[in-house]
Amino acid sequence: MSTIGSRLRSWLRRSLGRPELESEMETEIRFHVDAYIEDLIAQGVPQAEAARQARIEFGAIENTKEECREATGVTLLENFLQDLRYGARSMVRSPGFTAVAVIALALGIGANAAIFSVVNAVLLRPLAYRDSDRLVTILHGGDDPVAVANYIDWRNQSQSFEAMAAADYWSANLTGLDHPDRLLGLKVTQNLLPMLGVQPFLGRLFVKGEDEVGAEHEVILSYNLWQRRFSGDPNILGKAMVLNGNSYVIVGVMPQGFRFAPFWATHAELWVPNAFGDRIHNRGGNSLRVFARLKGGVSLAQSRAEIASITARLQQQFPGTNGNVVVMPLKEKVVGKIETPLLVLLGAVGFVLLIACANVAHMLLSRAAARQKEIAVRTALGARRFRVIRQLLTENLLLAVIGGGLGLLLAVWGIRTLVALSPGDIPRLDSVAIDTRVMLFLFGATLLTSVAFGLAPAMQASAVNLSDTLKEGGRGSSDGIRRNRLRSFLVATEFALALVLLIGAGLMIRSFYALRAVDPGFNPHDVVSMVVSVAGSNEARPGRRETFYREVLEKVRALPGIEAAGGINHLPLIGDMWGWPFVIEGRPTPRPGEFPTAVYRIAAPGYFDAMRLPLLQGRDIAASDDSKAPGVVVINEKAARAYWPNENPIGRHISFTSDSKPPVWLTIIGVTKDAVEGDWQREPYPEAYLAAFQNAEYLESPGTQFQYITLVARARTDPGALASTIKDTVWSIDRNLPVSEVVTMDEVVDQANAEPRFEMLLLAVFAVVALVMAAVGIYGVMSYSISRRTHEIGIRVSLGATRGEILLLVLRQGMVLALTGAAVGIMGALLLGRLMAKLLYGVPATDPLTFAGVATLLLAVAVIASYLPARRAMRVDPIVALRYE
Amino acid sequence: MDKQLELLQGTLDMLILKAVSLGPLHGYGVLLRIQQISQDRLEIQQGSLYPALYRLEHQGWITSEWGESENKRKAKYYRLTAAGKRRLQTEAEKWNRMADVIAGILGTSPEEV
Repeated sequence: MSTIGSRLRSWLRRSLGRPELESEMETEIRFHVDAYIEDLIAQGVPQAEAARQARIEFGAIENTKEECREATGVTLLENFLQDLRYGARSMVRSPGFTAVAVIALALGIGANAAIFSVVNAVLLRPLAYRDSDRLVTILHGGDDPVAVANYIDWRNQSQSFEAMAAADYWSANLTGLDHPDRLLGLKVTQNLLPMLGVQPFLGRLFVKGEDEVGAEHEVILSYNLWQRRFSGDPNILGKAMVLNGNSYVIVGVMPQGFRFAPFWATHAELWVPNAFGDRIHNRGGNSLRVFARLKGGVSLAQSRAEIASITARLQQQFPGTNGNVVVMPLKEKVVGKIETPLLVLLGAVGFVLLIACANVAHMLLSRAAARQKEIAVRTALGARRFRVIRQLLTENLLLAVIGGGLGLLLAVWGIRTLVALSPGDIPRLDSVAIDTRVMLFLFGATLLTSVAFGLAPAMQASAVNLSDTLKEGGRGSSDGIRRNRLRSFLVATEFALALVLLIGAGLMIRSFYALRAVDPGFNPHDVVSMVVSVAGSNEARPGRRETFYREVLEKVRALPGIEAAGGINHLPLIGDMWGWPFVIEGRPTPRPGEFPTAVYRIAAPGYFDAMRLPLLQGRDIAASDDSKAPGVVVINEKAARAYWPNENPIGRHISFTSDSKPPVWLTIIGVTKDAVEGDWQREPYPEAYLAAFQNAEYLESPGTQFQYITLVARARTDPGALASTIKDTVWSIDRNLPVSEVVTMDEVVDQANAEPRFEMLLLAVFAVVALVMAAVGIYGVMSYSISRRTHEIGIRVSLGATRGEILLLVLRQGMVLALTGAAVGIMGALLLGRLMAKLLYGVPATDPLTFAGVATLLLAVAVIASYLPARRAMRVDPIVALRYE
Repeated sequence: MDKQLELLQGTLDMLILKAVSLGPLHGYGVLLRIQQISQDRLEIQQGSLYPALYRLEHQGWITSEWGESENKRKAKYYRLTAAGKRRLQTEAEKWNRMADVIAGILGTSPEEV
């Protein structure tokens, strides 16, 4: 409608040209009056009488003007500004109230903005690839890698995908520059990077044919690696770099912030072509992660159905190779695990904000009671109810905006703290920032908040009964029942919300202690470890590797302060895990896919001592277990129980060679305690430790996955301080070897528990804030109620009530509120338990101890918060209280 | 002179629109024109004229510009806009229908029921 435009224009013109409007109105009205006077004079009325008559007939000029102003809408802005000024003045007049309200709101809004910005960055924002919602992963059980031959069959036989690509994990020793470096990267099929739809910052992506054997010597760098190791050299393209002793040509640099893969090998800094060679026939040795892009118009369900039928066919053809293949959206794969904890946290801060709103709301209610007279006077002077509500809402908006502004500062600080405190493995956390969406959220939260805490009090405050209020001199002896009910409802709600939060936090704390009580099997204190990689160096030569490893271990053991030292291929918790099938001598060959499996570890002598991983049976791997000695293996308890349930496994023979080759029998010489493996919370898998110095593959294979050792040393004192000594020892043998991933085992254990600790910490902080706010709430309500009941209490005392009775009277009122809230809160916590259960370890979501403990804590707080005002009530002097009337 | 009728609620806007539809007028002119057409049978509170004029202008039915009056004084003249013309038409139709219905009801005799 055209008039909306004209109204807006007229409103703007009037509001901006306010002085003009005034003078125009003045001129126009004067013209009217003068013209009328002239006409009256012309009719023969005397001048003075004409002027008088004209003014009377025109009516009150100021009223007319005000109505004109209202008609053009200029009063909207003007009233708003006036309300703001008034609000600001009344805020300054009651600084205590203002401070408490603003702090509560800032805490609530700030915590919400901070957590929301994390949710926004991690869950809501799409992955940084073209049409990233069309990208999927195809993995066994949604997690586990795939064999090359299977990938090739899936790719060739499926129609649902625009492209299907695969990547292998790769680590490379960078040499030839000032210092050696062990870099993590991926070997990718040629089509992988183009499939992501991200253009390189410099150069190009891989082209067809570059992933053929013999042609695979190109490398693409991450932006950070290019900056760090090549100082951002703009002429880097075409230059060579030496990786694992081979020369690679740099053909491209990816843009800043590009990351692949997003859920695994997240620290990959370089990408090289993956030439499968004769691995194309392998249906075992699963190592590939498979990615694909759905064709336009093909749904996820369709692609799943197709992959299901292809793998069912292959499974028949090659039993045990194509089981449980899952097509999963890439984003779900990336954020799936963190989704529940983040939503729980978002819910928790939502509760905190609600509690803050409830708190401010009943502070406003109390204040409204105190302002009743002021409002009554304004109403008596002609203010309409709507106008009064609008003024009160404006004041609330002002409060909320200041709270929101402080909340924004708090959020900025909170985000920084969150990112600093957070475990390293939350995907995409580094991209958390205050963006438009977060600002919109903050803005919306602020507005909603101001209405949530302000509307009900404003409606009540404005509904004053004029004559009563003015007559009573603003000191009503009885409070409206309705207002009391609202106030009680607010406090009970606060208690219910706080209880839910406290139970959540309590459960997390219990769960965390259950986690910490898990026995890792080894003793992580005073142990330092580091990865020494020989790939591409002199030490990698067959025959040389063993000598080098032995020499390093000898020298490290001889260092002062070292109690024990050993080596292993992969460390528990942070290292890789290879599940390998094996056969047991004397048992029938199992059907494909049903072989016993164990985590394949290669240990150098001294490892069990250094880790203090106790041997329960048999003997340790010794220095004498070399290639000339008979093959030996140590298994863990889990493997012993799983595969030799009622037998002694010592002396039995197993072989890890694949069925096409003759078995190489290893004798089981010992059984160790179970150690935690990939995941702190998971039951250990069966595990086998092979002797490093008799393992031909480990000592001779050119595969980079065999060309490093993780040194593990137990120190007498501070392990961290020994790290550099150990490094120097390695370098005293070969200066060109990269030493990486230097960590103490304590750090490793901490890192494994970082996420639950992070969630526990945040929930606990939110719960404490909620508890304090709820306590302030009940204290405020009780104090207010006592100040209103002074007269009544005075009467009771003068009629003979004892102090104890008065105390009970007040406490009972507080307890009813707290108990009601607690009952509702317990029901809420039970309902939310299912969500919580996903975050918990070793404690049920309905843990009676937590529920009882938290409820007791909350009630104790309620008792204290009501006791303080109750004491005041006990001291009421009936004479004073009654005379006061 | 007959006793003046008080203006019915909401009819002043329509009368102003009609008055300025006959030619541009200043505020006082609107008053005079309505009094003239109604032969002084309507009582109009002079002060109430201006909020109505401002409201109509704000809604876009009329528009104003400064000009010179008959006695060479600066005066604000109001004119009907195209939208205002349509508005006047619908308002007048509505009013006539309403008046017919009311007249019909009031004119009903007992026999007709």
